[in-house]
Order: sequence, then C-alpha cells, then structure tokens
Amino acid sequence: MIWPKIVPLACAGVLALTTTAGAVEGTRTFFPALDAERGRLVINGATDVEAMEPLIRDFQATVRDVAIDYTDYVTNDLYRDADIACRLKQPFGDILLSSSVDQLVKLANDGCALAHVSAETRGVPAWANWRDEVFGFTFEPSVMVYHKDFVPPEDVPHTHGELTDLLRFKPDYYRGRIGTYDLRQSGIGYLLAFLDAQQASTTYGRLLESLSRANAVLRCCNNAVLSELDSGNVFIGYNILGSYAYAASRRNDKLRIVLPRDYTLILSRGALIPVGAKRQDLAGRFLDYLLSVRGQKVARQKAFFFSHDGAVPADVDGPAKLVESGIGRPIRIGPALLAAQDRLQRSRFIDDWTNLIVNTPVRLRPN
Amino acid sequence: MRRETSLFSRLVLRVALVLCGGAALLATAAWYYARAAADDAYDRLLLGAAIQITANMTVDAGNLAVTLPSSAFELLGLAERDRIFYRVVGPDGKTLTGYDDLDPGINLSSARPAPIFLSANYRDVPVRMVIVSRALSDPSFSGWAYVVMAQTTEARRALAGELTTRAMILVGIMSILALAGTVLAIRYSLLPVGRLASTLNARDPQDLTPVEVDMPRELKPFVGSINHFMGRLEERVSLLQRFIADAAHQIRTPLTALTAQVDMLDDDDLDADRKRRLGRVRERVKQLARLTNQLLNHAMVIHRSDSVRFKPVDLGDIARKAFRATVPVTVDPDVVVSFEGCAAPAIVLGDAVSLREAIANIIDNALQHGAVQRLAVRVERSGRRVLVEVADDGPGIPQSEWPAVTARFVSSKVGEGSMGLGFAIAAEVAAAHRGTIRFREKAEHDFAVILDIPLYQESER
Repeated sequence: MIWPKIVPLACAGVLALTTTAGAVEGTRTFFPALDAERGRLVINGATDVEAMEPLIRDFQATVRDVAIDYTDYVTNDLYRDADIACRLKQPFGDILLSSSVDQLVKLANDGCALAHVSAETRGVPAWANWRDEVFGFTFEPSVMVYHKDFVPPEDVPHTHGELTDLLRFKPDYYRGRIGTYDLRQSGIGYLLAFLDAQQASTTYGRLLESLSRANAVLRCCNNAVLSELDSGNVFIGYNILGSYAYAASRRNDKLRIVLPRDYTLILSRGALIPVGAKRQDLAGRFLDYLLSVRGQKVARQKAFFFSHDGAVPADVDGPAKLVESGIGRPIRIGPALLAAQDRLQRSRFIDDWTNLIVNTPVRLRPN
Repeated sequence: MRRETSLFSRLVLRVALVLCGGAALLATAAWYYARAAADDAYDRLLLGAAIQITANMTVDAGNLAVTLPSSAFELLGLAERDRIFYRVVGPDGKTLTGYDDLDPGINLSSARPAPIFLSANYRDVPVRMVIVSRALSDPSFSGWAYVVMAQTTEARRALAGELTTRAMILVGIMSILALAGTVLAIRYSLLPVGRLASTLNARDPQDLTPVEVDMPRELKPFVGSINHFMGRLEERVSLLQRFIADAAHQIRTPLTALTAQVDMLDDDDLDADRKRRLGRVRERVKQLARLTNQLLNHAMVIHRSDSVRFKPVDLGDIARKAFRATVPVTVDPDVVVSFEGCAAPAIVLGDAVSLREAIANIIDNALQHGAVQRLAVRVERSGRRVLVEVADDGPGIPQSEWPAVTARFVSSKVGEGSMGLGFAIAAEVAAAHRGTIRFREKAEHDFAVILDIPLYQESER
C-alpha cells in the first residue's frame, strides 16, 4: 500500500511545519546578530535553511549588527502567502527567495515587487534579471540522481530518453523506486515539468507515461526525495536540483549525479523584495551580498556548488561545459514564465499529470 | 541709463526668438511622431501575442480550452521591462483565465470586426490594451470569444523618448547653425553701414560734394538724404562766402575814404589824451583795412580755385615776387630780411595769383607778429615736393594752436596780435594745390611756417 502511505506522510510533514511556526507556515530559524542587534531582516524563502545558512552567516560577518529571521516555506505556500499579502497590502518579509522563479515573476508582474538597482545588480546577466525586481542568484542544473548500489552501471540513464527506456525495459525492478516532485505541492516541480513539456513534448509524454507505469514516488520537496534515495527506498531521483543533490552526494557517496546530455534545464533561484518590505535597505544589502563576488563564492563552495562561470564539480557525470555545449538551458527570468503561471494552464497541466501519475490504477507492489 | 540699441543685436535677438519657437514646435512634433511610431511598433507585438492566444483556442467536448503559448509572452517580452496582463473571455461573457479585473471599459463585441487598441490605466499604471475576437463555429459550441491583452508602456515611452531626444539633438544643431549663419549674414549685410560711416568720417570737413560710395539699394535713400543735405549746406556756404565778399567789397570804398580822412586829421593842436585816442583810431582803421583786404583775397582765392585752370608755374619766382611785394621798403631797419631761392626750377601745377597771395600772407604774418630781428624766406626742393619756408626769430605759434590756425575759414579772434585770415587763406590755397601748411617748432632753428606743394611731374599732363 505504497500510495496511501505517501500522502499521509507528506501531509504529516506539512502539518509538522505549520504547527511549529504557529501563525507562520514553514520552519522558522533565527540567526541572532553577532553584535548588539540594530536591525532585523526577515527572509521568507523556499530554500532549505541548510543551503542558506552559510550565506546568512557570511552575510552577518559583513553586517554584524543585523539579526536574520529566516522562514522556510514550500514554494506554493510562499507564493500564496506573498500574493495574499500583496493584495491586502500587508508586509510579508523583507526579501523572498524561491526556486520557483515563475511565481516570483508573476508577483513582479502583479506589481508586488520593489526594484533594486546597485553595482551588483548591474552585473547580473540579462536572463537572470527582470525589471530589476526579480534576480536569479544561483545556477542550479536540474539533474538525475541514482543510488550506486541499486542501479548497475549499464542502467545509468544519461538522457531523458534513456530513463524512459530503462523504465520500459525493467519495469518491475524500478517500480516504486523512482522519486520525483509532486507537482501539486511543489511550484518548482511544476515549473520543471512544464518546461520539460515545452523542451521536448514527445520525450516528456513518454517519460510521464513510464513514470506512471513505474508508480513513481512523489514528494513535496527535493530533500524528501533525496532522503528516500539515501535510505535506499528510491533508486533514481528525477528532476532534482543539482545543489541539493550535490549536498546529499557529499553526505552519502553512494549517491551519484547525472546531468542529462540531451538537455539540462538550469534554474537560477530567484530573489525579490516585496512591496511592503519594512527593511528595504537591509533586503537590498542582502540581495547585493548574494549577487556579490563574495556571496557567489560562498554559494559555490558551501551552498549551491554550481556556478555560471565555474566548471561542473568533478564527480558529477555530465558535460564539462554546460552552457557552452548548448546542453544547459538556463531558464530565462522574464515574462515568458507567465505562461506557466496561467491558472487555467496550470490547473489543466497538473490535472493531466495527476490523471496520469496518481489516478492511474496500478498494480501494487508487494512490500 | 538708456540702453544703446543696435541693429545687430535686434536682428539676432529676433531671429533667435523665431528659431527657439521653431525648435520648440519641431520638438513637440517630434515627440508626437515618436510616440505614434513607438505605439505602432509595440502595438504590433501586442496584437501578435493576442492573435497567438486566439489561435490556440480549441473547442473540446463542448468546452472552450485555451493554451497560452509561451511564445506569445516571449513576443511581449521583447519589451523587456514591461508587465503583461491578459484576460480570456468566453462566449458566455465569463473570464476563462487571466486577470478578471482587466476591463477595457468598452463593450467587447465592438472588437468583432477588427481588433481594437486602447490606452488605459490598470492597477494604477498606464497600459496599452488590445481586444481581439475570435468566432467559434464548432457545431457543439459557437459564439464569440475574446482576448484582452495589455502591456505597460515603459518600452514605448523609452523608445519615444529616445527618438525625441535624437530629433531634438538634430533640431538643436540646425538651430545653432541657423543662428550662426544669421549672425554672419547680418554682420556681412551691415558692413556697408560701417563703410559709409568711415567714408564720411574720413572726408575733409570742407568737402561738401556728394558722397559716392557703392551702397546696397536699401542704403541708397540714406546716402541720398546725406547728399541732398550736403548740397543745401554747400549752397548756404557759398552764399555766405559771396555775401562776405560783397560786404567786404562794399566796405572797402568807404573804408579807403575813412582812412584818407583819418590821415588828413591834423593832430598838432590836440592835447596828449586826444592825440592818443586819434592814434588808436588810426590803428584800428588800419586793421580794418587789412582785414577787409584779406576777406576779399580769401574770396578771390576761393573763386580762383573753383574757376581757374592750373598751369605749371615756378614757385621760386612766385615766392620771390611775393617777398618783394610784401616786405615794404620802410621795413624796420633792425630786421634783417633775406630771400634764398632755389637753384633748380621749382615748377608746380597751380594758380600763380593764389600762390603768391598765400606766400604773401605768410610773410606778412611773420612781419606783423613774428620777426624781431630776422626774417628768412627760402624755397627748396625736397624729393618730389617744393617747400617755401618762412622763418622768423619771433616767439612762434604754440604747438597747441597749430590745428586751429591752419583750419580753413577758422579765423582767430580779430584784434590786437591776431593773425587775421592769413593762414586761413594760405591753407585754402595749399589744399587747392594738394599741398599743406606745416610748422616747425622754434628750437635751434627759428620758428618756420612751411608751404608744401607737390612738384609738377611732366607725366601728369
């Protein structure tokens, strides 16, 4: 009874998050100021606090009298709360960080963002800056992760097509062993799937069908999928953000990362200063820090591991030059992402996906 | 203090005003055109995006389905900073997707014949809107569906601003060039005025002949007026001269009689006081006679300079005759007089009578007012000129009065010690012969008055 098991688990996770933070959804972490506190920056992120912590600590080293209140949301919750706050003209944090950049673009399009221009923002490439309101500050390829012990070398998929074929040829072995995002819960999962469908609709359709047949394990978040991989419950994770995957592979050397060789979507995690930010100045300084050389260096070394100019980390299976080879497809932060955020489009896409992946009756695997 | 007006500054100011006005007008026009052009360019993108969406409408099992193509948003994304709003309305008037509150404020059905563009405000920002319709004619589902597409106007304004700025730079450059050209043109046009002024300034004060300068047509009336005025002045002056000559002539006869009568007066039986008075009367009568003679001489000289044709004459001879005629036999024996002629012939082109009169006047003046012990008349050639020098050992004329005594018609005050009209006559004659009257200051030499006349050149004939 795998399917019924998953949902309560996911729900329990979400519930746990909600209850711990009280009125605020998500997990809250407080970083006290290094010196006497003179200001407090409220960050609402859809980014694991473990990834953000090195950056926050290093930022505090430069601004010692600022305390940071960091709350981690699931992307969809973050968007919903930010949208409501914007409509009601209420404050909702000083800066929003989200991997689901389409949601940030929608917020900016709806007039919920403040522009920020500085020496650092001028250095941001055009594809990672929209209206000086939404900035991409990371470089994260969407990768496949596999567990070395359970996936023999000849099975390792190097393209989307190979993954599809693998699931077709060895359906029984991989049934219930493929983990990916639950589109209903994860904004970034939806965005990646939507872009997958745009990049190669046929391949995507076949892959979706294979995933459905393989009875894929669906999780709200990257780390949930990665922990299943870690424990050996899941053999292959699909559409995992490279940064989380790399962090997990450093903890567990059985986990290996593959950059798909047909195309690799590259996400730049977005930052946005919402209208109604109480400490717009601090938010601007934090944003400048994230975009600065120092911040980018810390991000590459401790938080997100990949960078636009740097090479792919040594133990990752993929082309050495991701962007130059044309395989890496950076997701341009701009109005084109609004198509992904259209409510009709989104609901139909998720409905189709749900019909295919979730509601398809599957033979249950004896556990 | 009243500001001096200048034709130049008036013209430049007015031209600059006209240019400024024109530039403002052109800039406004450029702004309108630029706005229209920018709107036109971006309206096409907007329309293209809306049409893409209408093209992606499908009727599926009695339901209207719309797929929003990313390419439509990418197309609008060419205006990089602009926000995009859209609304898809089904045949039942309900919003299928997009921004429910995006209301163009007009009846959507008016967009059936052709797409409609509107400028409006949405969420407090100015937007450009297009409404595109699509007729659905599926048997199971028919009616009109609409797509309202709106985009903020930042890119349009930026493009219009850029176009306007460029046009304004051009207009500015043209205005500056036009102004510079005008300045040059005005300066050039006003040159004849300056030339006329300098011609008038350079003119001899006695020259009352018409001004003959090449003038632009516009200045001809001005020159004509000057000439007309000068003609009248000339008439007046000659009338006055004639009157003076007549008067002098009329006075001469009674004056001669008066002199004779006064000379005949016997002063033997008069007491000292009356004798002194009689002496003064005689003195005054003598002065009057001299002055009257000079006036007549003057009139004669002027008359001759106008009417007598000049001939080559020997100035040395003339000077000698003048010397003999002027220095009386009864000259004070204490005064040594001398005449030094010129070895070479000193031929000048002139009127012998006038020249003799001029030299006689200078010698007479020296005798009357200058010479104490010495009077020397010398004729010499210096280069192409003939100089007649009359030197005496008297105090001379102070340098400050030189211009006054040589000024023709300017007679110094008549009275004791006055020079009368002598120099005026001499100067008049000198001028008529293209010569001058000069003075040499008393220093190691005696004070001298020099009549300087150009030598006659054979080639002049």
